[in-house]
Amino acid sequence: MMEAPALTALGDALERAAAQDLRRRRTRRRRLVALVATLVVAVPGIAYAASSLISVDEVAAGLPAGTYMLQGTAPHCTVVHAGIEYHCVLSKLPAQPEVADLKGTVEPTVNGDKHVNGGCRSLRSDGREWQCYIGQAAVEQRIVSADFLGEYAPGPGRG
Amino acid sequence: MQSDAQLLSAARSDPHAFRELYERYAGRVHGFHLGRTRDYEAALDLTAETFAHAWLSRARFEDRASGSAGPWLFAIARNVLVTSVRRNRLERFARERLDLLEERAVEPEPEERWLEGLDEALAALSDGELEALQLRIVDELSYEELGRRTGTTAGAARVRVHRGLTALRQRLLKPKEALR
Repeated sequence: MMEAPALTALGDALERAAAQDLRRRRTRRRRLVALVATLVVAVPGIAYAASSLISVDEVAAGLPAGTYMLQGTAPHCTVVHAGIEYHCVLSKLPAQPEVADLKGTVEPTVNGDKHVNGGCRSLRSDGREWQCYIGQAAVEQRIVSADFLGEYAPGPGRG
Repeated sequence: MQSDAQLLSAARSDPHAFRELYERYAGRVHGFHLGRTRDYEAALDLTAETFAHAWLSRARFEDRASGSAGPWLFAIARNVLVTSVRRNRLERFARERLDLLEERAVEPEPEERWLEGLDEALAALSDGELEALQLRIVDELSYEELGRRTGTTAGAARVRVHRGLTALRQRLLKPKEALR
Protein backbone atom coordinates (compact mmCIF):
# COMPACT_ATOMS: atom_id res chain seq x y z
CA MET A 1 0.00 0.00 0.00
CA MET A 2 1.33 3.41 -0.92
CA GLU A 3 0.52 6.49 1.07
CA ALA A 4 3.41 8.94 0.86
CA PRO A 5 2.62 11.88 -1.46
CA ALA A 6 6.18 11.84 -2.72
CA LEU A 7 5.77 8.25 -3.85
CA THR A 8 2.47 9.08 -5.52
CA ALA A 9 4.10 11.99 -7.33
CA LEU A 10 6.95 9.70 -8.36
CA GLY A 11 4.40 7.19 -9.65
CA ASP A 12 2.75 9.93 -11.73
CA ALA A 13 6.08 11.03 -13.16
CA LEU A 14 7.09 7.45 -13.84
CA GLU A 15 3.83 6.70 -15.63
CA ARG A 16 4.20 9.81 -17.81
CA ALA A 17 7.80 8.93 -18.60
CA ALA A 18 6.79 5.37 -19.44
CA ALA A 19 4.06 6.58 -21.80
CA GLN A 20 6.50 8.95 -23.47
CA ASP A 21 9.06 6.16 -23.79
CA LEU A 22 6.43 3.99 -25.47
CA ARG A 23 5.57 6.78 -27.92
CA ARG A 24 9.25 7.27 -28.75
CA ARG A 25 9.71 3.56 -29.30
CA ARG A 26 6.63 3.39 -31.52
CA THR A 27 7.92 6.30 -33.57
CA ARG A 28 11.28 4.59 -33.93
CA ARG A 29 9.49 1.37 -34.88
CA ARG A 30 7.44 3.16 -37.52
CA ARG A 31 10.63 4.66 -38.93
CA LEU A 32 12.23 1.24 -38.91
CA VAL A 33 9.22 -0.26 -40.68
CA ALA A 34 9.41 2.51 -43.27
CA LEU A 35 13.12 1.83 -43.74
CA VAL A 36 12.53 -1.90 -44.08
CA ALA A 37 9.72 -1.26 -46.56
CA THR A 38 12.07 0.95 -48.57
CA LEU A 39 14.72 -1.75 -48.53
CA VAL A 40 12.19 -4.41 -49.52
CA VAL A 41 11.42 -2.34 -52.59
CA ALA A 42 14.99 -1.36 -53.27
CA VAL A 43 16.79 -4.62 -52.64
CA PRO A 44 14.94 -6.64 -55.28
CA GLY A 45 15.84 -3.86 -57.71
CA ILE A 46 19.44 -4.08 -56.63
CA ALA A 47 19.30 -7.86 -56.83
CA TYR A 48 17.73 -7.64 -60.28
CA ALA A 49 20.40 -5.21 -61.40
CA ALA A 50 23.08 -7.55 -60.09
CA SER A 51 21.52 -10.57 -61.73
CA SER A 52 21.16 -8.66 -64.97
CA LEU A 53 24.88 -8.07 -65.06
CA ILE A 54 26.08 -10.07 -67.97
CA SER A 55 29.30 -12.06 -68.15
CA VAL A 56 31.88 -11.54 -70.86
CA ASP A 57 31.19 -15.07 -72.09
CA GLU A 58 27.49 -14.24 -72.49
CA VAL A 59 28.38 -11.09 -74.43
CA ALA A 60 30.74 -13.13 -76.60
CA ALA A 61 28.07 -15.76 -77.22
CA GLY A 62 25.58 -13.03 -78.08
CA LEU A 63 27.47 -11.91 -81.18
CA PRO A 64 27.17 -15.11 -83.27
CA ALA A 65 23.75 -15.77 -81.75
CA GLY A 66 22.55 -12.47 -83.15
CA THR A 67 24.33 -12.37 -86.48
CA TYR A 68 24.69 -15.21 -88.92
CA MET A 69 27.96 -14.02 -90.46
CA LEU A 70 29.65 -14.04 -87.04
CA GLN A 71 29.00 -17.69 -86.39
CA GLY A 72 32.18 -19.66 -85.85
CA THR A 73 34.22 -16.55 -85.12
CA ALA A 74 34.70 -17.37 -81.43
CA PRO A 75 34.66 -13.83 -79.99
CA HIS A 76 36.54 -12.98 -76.83
CA CYS A 77 35.20 -10.01 -74.89
CA THR A 78 36.53 -7.80 -72.12
CA VAL A 79 34.66 -5.43 -69.85
CA VAL A 80 34.71 -1.72 -70.54
CA HIS A 81 31.83 -0.81 -68.23
CA ALA A 82 30.33 -3.83 -66.48
CA GLY A 83 26.83 -4.59 -67.68
CA ILE A 84 26.97 -1.79 -70.26
CA GLU A 85 29.95 -1.80 -72.61
CA TYR A 86 32.32 -4.52 -73.79
CA HIS A 87 35.18 -4.78 -76.26
CA CYS A 88 35.19 -7.95 -78.29
CA VAL A 89 37.82 -9.47 -80.56
CA LEU A 90 37.04 -12.33 -82.92
CA SER A 91 39.37 -15.32 -82.87
CA LYS A 92 38.49 -15.96 -86.51
CA LEU A 93 37.45 -13.43 -89.10
CA PRO A 94 33.98 -13.75 -90.52
CA ALA A 95 34.13 -16.32 -93.31
CA GLN A 96 31.55 -14.64 -95.49
CA PRO A 97 31.20 -10.95 -94.62
CA GLU A 98 28.00 -9.53 -96.00
CA VAL A 99 29.70 -6.26 -96.85
CA ALA A 100 33.25 -5.58 -97.99
CA ASP A 101 34.00 -3.04 -95.30
CA LEU A 102 32.58 -3.95 -91.94
CA LYS A 103 33.83 -0.88 -90.10
CA GLY A 104 30.88 0.90 -88.51
CA THR A 105 28.55 -2.00 -89.20
CA VAL A 106 26.13 -2.61 -86.35
CA GLU A 107 24.73 -5.99 -85.36
CA PRO A 108 22.39 -7.07 -82.59
CA THR A 109 23.38 -9.47 -79.84
CA VAL A 110 21.03 -12.17 -78.60
CA ASN A 111 21.04 -13.76 -75.16
CA GLY A 112 20.60 -17.39 -74.18
CA ASP A 113 16.84 -16.96 -74.08
CA LYS A 114 16.89 -15.89 -77.71
CA HIS A 115 15.97 -12.29 -77.08
CA VAL A 116 17.81 -9.24 -78.37
CA ASN A 117 19.81 -7.89 -75.44
CA GLY A 118 22.07 -5.31 -77.09
CA GLY A 119 24.25 -4.72 -80.08
CA CYS A 120 27.80 -4.23 -81.35
CA ARG A 121 29.57 -1.90 -83.74
CA SER A 122 32.53 -3.08 -85.79
CA LEU A 123 35.69 -1.10 -85.16
CA ARG A 124 37.61 -2.51 -88.11
CA SER A 125 36.97 -3.10 -91.74
CA ASP A 126 37.74 -6.80 -91.44
CA GLY A 127 35.30 -7.11 -88.57
CA ARG A 128 37.82 -8.47 -86.05
CA GLU A 129 37.04 -5.95 -83.26
CA TRP A 130 33.64 -4.95 -82.04
CA GLN A 131 32.42 -2.54 -79.40
CA CYS A 132 29.32 -4.01 -77.81
CA TYR A 133 26.63 -2.38 -75.71
CA ILE A 134 24.04 -4.09 -73.51
CA GLY A 135 20.43 -3.07 -73.01
CA GLN A 136 19.49 0.60 -73.19
CA ALA A 137 23.09 1.52 -73.92
CA ALA A 138 22.71 -0.20 -77.32
CA VAL A 139 19.65 1.94 -77.99
CA GLU A 140 21.51 5.09 -77.01
CA GLN A 141 24.35 4.07 -79.35
CA ARG A 142 21.76 3.77 -82.14
CA ILE A 143 22.72 0.12 -82.70
CA VAL A 144 19.25 -1.27 -82.05
CA SER A 145 15.94 0.46 -81.77
CA ALA A 146 14.05 0.57 -78.51
CA ASP A 147 11.35 -1.56 -80.11
CA PHE A 148 13.84 -4.19 -81.22
CA LEU A 149 15.50 -4.49 -77.79
CA GLY A 150 13.98 -7.48 -76.05
CA GLU A 151 12.45 -8.89 -79.21
CA TYR A 152 12.39 -12.64 -79.67
CA ALA A 153 15.14 -13.77 -82.02
CA PRO A 154 15.04 -17.52 -82.53
CA GLY A 155 17.95 -17.57 -85.00
CA PRO A 156 20.87 -15.36 -86.04
CA GLY A 157 19.93 -12.62 -88.46
CA ARG A 158 21.21 -12.21 -91.97
CA GLY A 159 21.82 -9.01 -93.84
CA MET B 1 -6.61 -9.67 -9.60
CA GLN B 2 -3.79 -9.79 -12.09
CA SER B 3 -0.49 -11.29 -10.98
CA ASP B 4 2.69 -9.23 -11.11
CA ALA B 5 3.82 -11.30 -14.07
CA GLN B 6 0.60 -10.50 -15.92
CA LEU B 7 0.99 -6.81 -15.15
CA LEU B 8 4.55 -6.82 -16.45
CA SER B 9 3.42 -8.58 -19.57
CA ALA B 10 0.68 -5.99 -20.11
CA ALA B 11 3.16 -3.22 -19.31
CA ARG B 12 5.02 -3.92 -22.52
CA SER B 13 2.48 -1.68 -24.17
CA ASP B 14 0.51 -0.24 -21.29
CA PRO B 15 2.00 2.27 -18.81
CA HIS B 16 -1.09 1.93 -16.58
CA ALA B 17 -0.28 -1.72 -15.95
CA PHE B 18 3.21 -0.71 -14.90
CA ARG B 19 1.72 1.94 -12.62
CA GLU B 20 -0.34 -0.75 -10.93
CA LEU B 21 2.79 -2.78 -10.31
CA TYR B 22 4.44 0.36 -8.96
CA GLU B 23 1.54 0.89 -6.58
CA ARG B 24 2.03 -2.61 -5.24
CA TYR B 25 5.74 -2.32 -4.60
CA ALA B 26 6.72 1.35 -4.39
CA GLY B 27 6.31 1.49 -0.62
CA ARG B 28 8.34 -1.64 -0.03
CA VAL B 29 11.08 -0.70 -2.48
CA HIS B 30 11.30 2.75 -0.94
CA GLY B 31 11.37 1.11 2.46
CA PHE B 32 14.23 -1.08 1.34
CA HIS B 33 16.27 1.89 0.16
CA LEU B 34 15.30 3.95 3.19
CA GLY B 35 16.40 1.14 5.46
CA ARG B 36 19.82 1.14 3.79
CA THR B 37 20.38 4.86 3.31
CA ARG B 38 18.42 6.42 6.15
CA ASP B 39 18.00 9.33 3.76
CA TYR B 40 14.48 9.96 2.55
CA GLU B 41 15.41 11.87 -0.61
CA ALA B 42 18.15 9.44 -1.53
CA ALA B 43 15.72 6.56 -1.04
CA LEU B 44 13.22 8.33 -3.27
CA ASP B 45 15.81 8.75 -6.03
CA LEU B 46 16.90 5.15 -5.69
CA THR B 47 13.27 4.05 -5.85
CA ALA B 48 12.78 6.06 -9.02
CA GLU B 49 15.92 4.51 -10.50
CA THR B 50 14.77 1.02 -9.49
CA PHE B 51 11.40 1.37 -11.22
CA ALA B 52 12.89 3.12 -14.23
CA HIS B 53 15.24 0.13 -14.57
CA ALA B 54 12.28 -2.20 -14.17
CA TRP B 55 10.40 -0.36 -16.91
CA LEU B 56 13.33 -0.52 -19.32
CA SER B 57 13.97 -4.21 -18.66
CA ARG B 58 10.35 -5.34 -18.24
CA ALA B 59 10.48 -7.39 -21.44
CA ARG B 60 13.24 -9.51 -19.92
CA PHE B 61 11.24 -10.38 -16.81
CA GLU B 62 10.91 -14.12 -16.33
CA ASP B 63 8.35 -15.46 -13.92
CA ARG B 64 10.42 -17.52 -11.48
CA ALA B 65 8.44 -16.85 -8.35
CA SER B 66 4.93 -18.05 -9.12
CA GLY B 67 3.80 -14.79 -10.66
CA SER B 68 5.48 -12.50 -8.16
CA ALA B 69 7.78 -9.75 -9.37
CA GLY B 70 9.06 -9.13 -5.85
CA PRO B 71 12.37 -11.03 -6.12
CA TRP B 72 13.04 -9.45 -9.50
CA LEU B 73 12.28 -5.93 -8.30
CA PHE B 74 14.34 -6.28 -5.15
CA ALA B 75 17.23 -7.70 -7.18
CA ILE B 76 17.07 -4.52 -9.27
CA ALA B 77 16.82 -2.40 -6.14
CA ARG B 78 19.86 -4.11 -4.68
CA ASN B 79 21.85 -3.61 -7.89
CA VAL B 80 20.90 0.07 -8.03
CA LEU B 81 21.99 0.50 -4.43
CA VAL B 82 25.28 -1.38 -4.82
CA THR B 83 26.12 0.42 -8.06
CA SER B 84 25.43 3.78 -6.46
CA VAL B 85 27.76 3.03 -3.55
CA ARG B 86 30.46 1.61 -5.81
CA ARG B 87 30.39 4.70 -8.03
CA ASN B 88 29.93 7.05 -5.11
CA ARG B 89 27.08 8.66 -7.01
CA LEU B 90 23.40 7.83 -7.18
CA GLU B 91 22.78 5.58 -10.16
CA ARG B 92 20.87 7.59 -12.76
CA PHE B 93 21.20 5.60 -16.00
CA ALA B 94 17.56 4.51 -16.24
CA ARG B 95 16.19 7.86 -15.06
CA GLU B 96 18.20 9.64 -17.72
CA ARG B 97 16.89 7.27 -20.34
CA LEU B 98 13.34 8.14 -19.31
CA ASP B 99 13.95 11.86 -18.73
CA LEU B 100 12.95 11.24 -15.15
CA LEU B 101 15.81 13.02 -13.45
CA GLU B 102 14.91 15.50 -10.80
CA GLU B 103 17.84 17.79 -10.17
CA ARG B 104 18.42 18.51 -6.51
CA ALA B 105 20.31 21.38 -4.99
CA VAL B 106 22.27 18.91 -2.94
CA GLU B 107 22.67 15.45 -4.39
CA PRO B 108 22.80 12.74 -1.72
CA GLU B 109 26.17 11.03 -1.62
CA PRO B 110 26.18 7.27 -1.32
CA GLU B 111 28.07 5.82 1.59
CA GLU B 112 29.57 2.40 2.19
CA ARG B 113 27.35 1.91 5.21
CA TRP B 114 24.35 1.73 2.86
CA LEU B 115 25.47 -1.79 2.05
CA GLU B 116 25.73 -2.89 5.66
CA GLY B 117 23.43 -5.74 6.40
CA LEU B 118 22.87 -6.80 2.83
CA ASP B 119 25.09 -9.85 3.05
CA GLU B 120 24.17 -10.41 6.67
CA ALA B 121 20.55 -10.84 5.63
CA LEU B 122 21.59 -13.69 3.39
CA ALA B 123 23.86 -15.10 6.06
CA ALA B 124 20.96 -15.14 8.52
CA LEU B 125 19.02 -17.59 6.40
CA SER B 126 19.09 -21.27 7.28
CA ASP B 127 21.24 -23.48 5.09
CA GLY B 128 18.12 -25.06 3.63
CA GLU B 129 16.55 -21.70 2.77
CA LEU B 130 19.78 -20.38 1.30
CA GLU B 131 20.25 -23.48 -0.83
CA ALA B 132 16.63 -23.36 -1.98
CA LEU B 133 16.92 -19.70 -2.96
CA GLN B 134 20.22 -20.35 -4.72
CA LEU B 135 18.80 -23.24 -6.74
CA ARG B 136 15.55 -21.44 -7.54
CA ILE B 137 16.66 -17.86 -8.17
CA VAL B 138 20.22 -18.24 -9.39
CA ASP B 139 20.16 -21.67 -11.01
CA GLU B 140 16.56 -21.23 -12.18
CA LEU B 141 15.50 -24.78 -11.31
CA SER B 142 11.84 -25.73 -11.35
CA TYR B 143 10.30 -26.61 -8.00
CA GLU B 144 10.17 -30.25 -9.10
CA GLU B 145 13.89 -30.29 -9.89
CA LEU B 146 14.66 -28.30 -6.76
CA GLY B 147 12.74 -30.88 -4.73
CA ARG B 148 14.70 -33.74 -6.30
CA ARG B 149 18.02 -32.00 -5.64
CA THR B 150 17.21 -31.34 -1.99
CA GLY B 151 15.49 -34.64 -1.30
CA THR B 152 12.03 -33.23 -0.75
CA THR B 153 8.79 -32.65 -2.62
CA ALA B 154 8.07 -29.82 -5.04
CA GLY B 155 5.54 -28.41 -2.59
CA ALA B 156 8.00 -28.43 0.28
CA ALA B 157 10.61 -26.80 -1.97
CA ARG B 158 8.14 -24.06 -2.83
CA VAL B 159 7.48 -23.42 0.87
CA ARG B 160 11.21 -23.27 1.61
CA VAL B 161 11.78 -20.70 -1.12
CA HIS B 162 8.81 -18.67 0.06
CA ARG B 163 10.07 -18.65 3.63
CA GLY B 164 13.53 -17.65 2.51
CA LEU B 165 12.21 -14.77 0.44
CA THR B 166 9.95 -13.61 3.24
CA ALA B 167 12.79 -13.71 5.75
CA LEU B 168 15.03 -11.78 3.39
CA ARG B 169 12.37 -9.19 2.74
CA GLN B 170 11.73 -8.66 6.42
CA ARG B 171 15.39 -8.28 7.25
CA LEU B 172 16.15 -5.99 4.35
CA LEU B 173 13.13 -3.77 4.89
CA LYS B 174 13.76 -3.38 8.59
CA PRO B 175 15.13 0.13 9.24
CA LYS B 176 18.42 0.15 11.06
CA GLU B 177 17.33 3.04 13.22
CA ALA B 178 14.54 5.53 13.63
CA LEU B 179 13.66 7.27 10.40
CA ARG B 180 12.14 10.62 9.76
